[in-house]
Amino acid sequence: MSVPEVTEKAAGAGASAGTVPNHGENMFIFVSELLGRPVCDAGGRRLGRVHDLKVRLGENFPRVATLHIRRGRGKVLALDWAEVASFSGRKVVLAPGGEEKMTAPDVKGEEMLLKEELLDKQVVDTHGAKIERVNDIHLLIIHKDLRVVHVDIGRRGLLRRLDLLRPVEGLTKWFFEYEVPEVLVSWKYIQPLGGDLHRAELKLNVAARGLHDLHPSELADILEDLDRESQTRIFKALDLETAADTLQEVEPWLQRSLLEGAPAEKASDLLEEMEPDEATDLLSELPEDRKRKLFLTMERPSREVLQELLTYKEGTAGRIMTTDYLTVREDQTVGDAVREFKNTTHPLESVAYTFVLDAGGRLRGVITLRHLLLMDKETPVRGLMNTHLVRVWTDDDLKTVAETFGKYKFLMVPVVDEENVLCGVITFQDIMEERCQL
Amino acid sequence: MTLKERLKNNRFLRNMFVFLAVLGPGIITGSVDNDAGGITTYSVAGASYGYQLLWTLLPSFILLLVVQEMNARMGVVTGKGLADLIRENFSIKVTAVIFLGLVIANIGNTATEFAGVAGSLMVFGVSKYISVPIVAVGVWVLVTKGNYRTAERIFLFFSFCLLSYIISAVLAKPDWAKVGQSLVRPAMHFDVPYLSMVLGIVGTTVAPWMQFYMQSAVIEKGIRVENYKFAVWDVVIGCVATVVVAFFIMVACAATLNVNGVVITEAKDAAMALTPFAGAFASQLFAFGLFVASVFSATILPLATAFFVCEAFGFEAGINKRIGEAPQFYALFGFIMVISILIILIPGAPLIGITIWSQVLNAVLLPVVLISMIRMVNNKKIMGTHVNNAVQNAVGWASTVILIILTGALLVSQAVTLLAPK
Repeated sequence: MSVPEVTEKAAGAGASAGTVPNHGENMFIFVSELLGRPVCDAGGRRLGRVHDLKVRLGENFPRVATLHIRRGRGKVLALDWAEVASFSGRKVVLAPGGEEKMTAPDVKGEEMLLKEELLDKQVVDTHGAKIERVNDIHLLIIHKDLRVVHVDIGRRGLLRRLDLLRPVEGLTKWFFEYEVPEVLVSWKYIQPLGGDLHRAELKLNVAARGLHDLHPSELADILEDLDRESQTRIFKALDLETAADTLQEVEPWLQRSLLEGAPAEKASDLLEEMEPDEATDLLSELPEDRKRKLFLTMERPSREVLQELLTYKEGTAGRIMTTDYLTVREDQTVGDAVREFKNTTHPLESVAYTFVLDAGGRLRGVITLRHLLLMDKETPVRGLMNTHLVRVWTDDDLKTVAETFGKYKFLMVPVVDEENVLCGVITFQDIMEERCQL
Repeated sequence: MTLKERLKNNRFLRNMFVFLAVLGPGIITGSVDNDAGGITTYSVAGASYGYQLLWTLLPSFILLLVVQEMNARMGVVTGKGLADLIRENFSIKVTAVIFLGLVIANIGNTATEFAGVAGSLMVFGVSKYISVPIVAVGVWVLVTKGNYRTAERIFLFFSFCLLSYIISAVLAKPDWAKVGQSLVRPAMHFDVPYLSMVLGIVGTTVAPWMQFYMQSAVIEKGIRVENYKFAVWDVVIGCVATVVVAFFIMVACAATLNVNGVVITEAKDAAMALTPFAGAFASQLFAFGLFVASVFSATILPLATAFFVCEAFGFEAGINKRIGEAPQFYALFGFIMVISILIILIPGAPLIGITIWSQVLNAVLLPVVLISMIRMVNNKKIMGTHVNNAVQNAVGWASTVILIILTGALLVSQAVTLLAPK
């Protein structure tokens, strides 16, 4: 069965163009059309109305497993969908004896109620990288089974729910020959945010698949637009690397809020995973006691790097520099530099330059990626390196740093202390971010 | 221990700091509350009934406090706007009806704000055909080019200007003994004009769109549940400010206009009529207050309305988006602005009728919004442990019932006057 992924079309025109396999009216049904329909037993006796539909998450296109029936005043009973004999026409008819199998409703962690937890709620559309509101839910009918295939986020769905589609479309067709477009997004791109506070977390983990397809900066935009509960919940569902990348991208107020919402262990892992300059920025905004606690649970090498970076004053080169960069000693060869390159597994902000140091860690020169690629492995770096050094000092202010970048048009500038010992590097991107905030 | 650390460890200072940090939503909402419509209603009440209606401010204050506290609590606990919550928890048709009502009422309300702009500058001799377009362009530029936070800060400063009404009132030399007497022993009547005035005062003090605005402002501030008690103080200060300003407007008009038997229908009339009794300075101060309040609300009202509608129906919204990115938002904002300005600039437009009918629509909408709010704030699935207590529910439901009865009475009386042969 081919299911269209994202469909944006005028309903009538699209169907004839064949974007949706449409073999008569009954191929698809909207949840809003099912809700409120009378439920009758096999003999035609009325039992109640369709109150909600429960699906099991985890499948690509989740199947409707349970029917929730409202009987009279507020009493809701659950019934296995297998007991439904037909739902064509204007009512839902049960199989013989089905009415005796109704039980009290019970929703587990990996299950979701379509009306209570999805309809009219906000979801993340991971294809469009946006938060959308669910106007309707599109179900595919396969024999007697219903599967969630699309979520309707368009104006057409809104008008249909308000029973205004016919009059409005009548007018727009008459005047402008305009059909209100149907906007359906495939379920595989939909990330529900979960309704009930207690079960939401479980549900998100079952369904968090789509989130990892988003770029961290898209995730950051989405998080900024959500309410705090959903922010924390989504953030928890991300793996460490994605979470750290996303944390770097969000606004400072949200950084603090997310980090404070995470358990200490996870928070320090996140800081270790972030680029050191970004982590320092974030740490400097936290209260003293919180900072101390985070350092306690942090691995030693990261802790030392961050603690050192924090000793530099705000607004200096030392504060915005990062300590991830490639180095080689001056008595080594190009081959050694290439090996160092290959052994560096964590992502670097820039690999354009490798810095050449003497035995005391003092900066002697710089070789470029071009040297590493083109030169013979045996060549000593001492002979290749450019010794005309452009550098800034740890206590230089950001204006000086920016001017250095402006003057020399480099991608990266090394930062040294008074003894010319290399302490870190500042990338063009770092200084751009700083200048943008000013 | 450094001075900084010592300051950090001082509990009182720390509390003060947190309080100052959460301060804002309540006070700004309280100030927007005393908009042109509000000033008109209080002036007319003071001029027509003297000190007799001062007592209505007390129940208005309690209602305002209870309602806004619920809004602040819902905002802090859920992090969601009121429009958002209504769409998620009630049927889509109820949502549509509430927002249709809100848009229509707010077109009327915005027209009233521009009428306030026109009227206040008329006191200084500026024609409305000059003042209204200039202010409208100013508002548009502020909204589309400016930063909302900066604007809000400017407004926070302007809200202090509303205190000019206190000076106006003192200059009018009211009879303080009578003021006190009317508060302690209110004179009640049960005729239709009196009741509709009472409802008008309550309706303008607790306008429905305020609830949406208040909740959004709380979320915007990012106040956490731990700091909720400070947010409550912000709400209390805002409500007190609202009622105090209303009180002095009524006193100023009662002491001058009512005593001398001057009948007014607009706030501008009040400003002008003050001159012979309290001096040109009092009159100009009154007009200045009216101008500030009108511009303030004329900016926030259309913007907030467009924002809430988009929030409920899932359209992109926000002034940091381009027109192509959020077409519905800008269309709605522009629509409300243009219609309300046209209403003001059409010669001979029935301004008083529009003011009255938008107040009536406010009063009809208020119980609907209140019922939705009380039901949500008592829902454990939404509020967890922060549901209403018995007192809050009692005040909330009692107010709703009284409002419905008063509104019903007003609507019947309006219908009777409209249908009765002249």
